[in-house]
Amino acid sequence: MALLGALTAVPLARASDDVVELGARVAAIAVVALVAALVLEWTALVPTAIVLVGALYAAQLAIDDAALDTASPAYAAGLLVTAELAYWSLEERDYIQGEPGASLRHAAFVAALGVATLLVASLLLVLVDTVRTRGLAVDLVGAAAAALFAIVLVARGQGRTSH
Amino acid sequence: MVAAIALVAALALRRPELAIIAAPFALVLAIGTRLARDPKVTVELVLARDRTMEEADLEASLTVRAVGAVDRLELLLDLPPGVEAADAGDAQVIRLRPGDERVIPLALRCTRWGVYSLGGVEVRARDPFRLVVWEERFSGRQQLKVYPRPISLRRILAPAETQAFTGSEVARVKGDGVEYADIRDFVPGDRVRSINWRASARRQTLVVNERHPERNTDVVLFVDSFVDVHGGDRSTLEDAVRAGSALATRYLERRDRVGLVGFGGVLRWLQPGMGLTQRYRLIETMLETGVEPTYTWRDVNLIPARILPPKALVLGLTPLVDPRFIAALGDLRARGFDVGVVEVDPVPLVEAGRSEIEELSYRLWVLEREVVRASLVALGIGIARWGDLDLETALEEVRTFRRYAKLAPV
Repeated sequence: MALLGALTAVPLARASDDVVELGARVAAIAVVALVAALVLEWTALVPTAIVLVGALYAAQLAIDDAALDTASPAYAAGLLVTAELAYWSLEERDYIQGEPGASLRHAAFVAALGVATLLVASLLLVLVDTVRTRGLAVDLVGAAAAALFAIVLVARGQGRTSH
Repeated sequence: MVAAIALVAALALRRPELAIIAAPFALVLAIGTRLARDPKVTVELVLARDRTMEEADLEASLTVRAVGAVDRLELLLDLPPGVEAADAGDAQVIRLRPGDERVIPLALRCTRWGVYSLGGVEVRARDPFRLVVWEERFSGRQQLKVYPRPISLRRILAPAETQAFTGSEVARVKGDGVEYADIRDFVPGDRVRSINWRASARRQTLVVNERHPERNTDVVLFVDSFVDVHGGDRSTLEDAVRAGSALATRYLERRDRVGLVGFGGVLRWLQPGMGLTQRYRLIETMLETGVEPTYTWRDVNLIPARILPPKALVLGLTPLVDPRFIAALGDLRARGFDVGVVEVDPVPLVEAGRSEIEELSYRLWVLEREVVRASLVALGIGIARWGDLDLETALEEVRTFRRYAKLAPV
């Protein structure tokens, strides 16, 4: 819940006055959706809450026409970890006694997932930023990658027909 | 869903940040579904024994095998009513590596006698990303017989007549035995050792001692399975079987022959016999006793003659609710059988109700029971009301009745 609160606070803090009023309502609905999901054990409401928070972030970016947001990897990691924690919380409602260390292991897994998400998203952000500069080197790299991909596809196709 | 919406939004709004948000979700989905494999879990419940006592703990183990890795394997024991997990709950969570075999020790407690089929286990396996769930149900194949908890009985009902074989019951007739009965005049053929020399000296003629022989008896437990009155955690049929089990054990210890008739929707019987094997036969037949609803009139003519030997003590175990069983008791008495009744009292199990009509009906029902009881007593059937008191005290009621009551001519 704290993570979801933080994720809703980020776009609201950066948003212009036009967005804040509507954003606050969306954020409130997202929080209520997650609370309902956890209390009433309605798993379908977890992605609803995540989508609403993502929509809030998208609305802030689109309406304010902001530059490329460098915080988006952290935001992606936050959303994924929020979803994972919410589902984990629902799993624990079964009150089934697990093995010692199971909770710690799962917490480490969620943390690793968050770090991995941060890394992948950062890599994508760098890629996007590089592509945006539209340099010749990037075009060449893109053409080389496309050619390599085409060669790989042809090679795999020939391998299948020979069998 | 999140990834798809974010990607569509990224294209629509031309914001690459949304694609960056979508990417981890899509990656997790792709990798998770790619790595997910059916772990092929097999589960087997093994019981330490196939027989146990009511309220006693039973050791068991759950052997779990998996071909593939399972990050979270939920095991839910499907226990029938009357059996519960004694230590932890009936659900467990474990983690298995590929090819692992795990033996989970369990302790089961049986709260009610009966025959149970155990081994039903519901299995739910999840992959590390918790995206795919495999569920399977293993049906039970282990049979467990739960015997009723023993009831302490020091004294039991002595039958009015004994049989021909040697036993522990002092017969009313005179013959070779240990217990002193009477003296009489010596007649040719009497053994010298039976001469009572002191009495002979006083009477100036030879007199001999007469003794009561020790004989065995035949007892038939006559269990009423027409109705079962439930209330709270008690039921009259459960208590009747408990009492029957205790009485059978006690009579068999005295080398008496004990038989069984389960009289109800389904007629069950067991020919009188003696020994440990008969004890197990009796208890296991009683474990199968259940109420099978029927509206047909049944009488004692249905019972084979060899099941009810002459001079047998017939002990009815009944809540005295069904008129067919009450009529059968009267029939047996009319045929000359020595009949006693352990009345498993249903009155404390029935609530009087709140409305005036309900209260009145309850009082009429209680009065009607008194009338039924009085009619049986008039036939010479002693009734032990077994409710709050222990069984031995209840039986004392019949013993006293049989000692002082004059039996009705039959």
